Amino acid sequence: MEFLALAATLRFLFFALIVVAIIVFLIWQREHLAVLLKWGFWSVSALLIFSFLHYTLPQTDIVRIVGANTKRIDFGENSFFWSGGEVGNATGGATRDVFFIETIQPNGRPLVYRNEDTGWGWPPYFKLNSFNLQATASSLISTTESPKWVAVQHYGWRNEFFTIFPNALSMRQVAGPDVRIIPWASIIILTVLALLALLVWRMLAQFRERMIDPMVDRVGDELDALDARADEARDRARGKWGRFTGWLGTWRGTPRR
Amino acid sequence: MIALIRLWLLLLIGLPILYLLVRTFARSLEREKLEKRWDAKQGPGAREEFIERGMALYSRSLRKKLLWGVIIVPLVGISTLVYMLNFS
Repeated sequence: MEFLALAATLRFLFFALIVVAIIVFLIWQREHLAVLLKWGFWSVSALLIFSFLHYTLPQTDIVRIVGANTKRIDFGENSFFWSGGEVGNATGGATRDVFFIETIQPNGRPLVYRNEDTGWGWPPYFKLNSFNLQATASSLISTTESPKWVAVQHYGWRNEFFTIFPNALSMRQVAGPDVRIIPWASIIILTVLALLALLVWRMLAQFRERMIDPMVDRVGDELDALDARADEARDRARGKWGRFTGWLGTWRGTPRR
Repeated sequence: MIALIRLWLLLLIGLPILYLLVRTFARSLEREKLEKRWDAKQGPGAREEFIERGMALYSRSLRKKLLWGVIIVPLVGISTLVYMLNFS
């Protein structure tokens, strides 16, 4: 427990240091504050979108399966990176057995996948067959001497610092480690996303052109008309005032010579 | 089960909203096209009448009926994905 408290303190100090460093930097460069904030905002947004897509979109690796096991996992700070359990089972538990597929990449490095249902939740791959996939993985286990190369489609990241694993979606045996794989799924998803963005952009442009601009024009015209009426009224008032002062003037005596 | 209900609710609410938005957008594009066509030729007939006739034709056209794809394509896509990923 003491170690945990120390780790938490160190982590807090680390993030506090980063925040202080950013603030000091911004104060130091305060003449360029607006530009820095603008670039900071856009680069953080781009980084978030890129990493979100990189995590969620499917990727395919060619690997050799060496094991297909189950391990109990107690979810902690990393629970965000695990699924909610198999479809129909209880959800939200703090501990659960998870399938793992242990593989070796062509370069000899290990790569471990988890094999969990995504069910009806996020990301929307609607994977319900983790038990079947585990059986497939078991049947494809091979040795270094006579390797069976398997293309594993997955999403997610392997990160040792948080103990998170990519989630295997599907697998099929391929001829060798150098087989060319075209990422159709990513191509389709990105195309659909781009079309949706284009649709939203065109819809907003059309809405502005056909609804907002005419309304602004109409309001502008009305304001102009109002302005014109006000001018006219002022002229009229001045006219009356002019006549009144003229009338007053008639009471004034002519200056003595 | 809750996740499935949540997905259905999302689709039941989200897809009709998307359909209505796209339908409004398509109608607006059609009306603009008709206006531009009349303005280019100054005819035939009165402007309002020409546009109303065009819109009436459009509302019965195949192009308008194809907009139901906004609802149908995602549902078919989800079903296909469920089948392809899990049962083939």
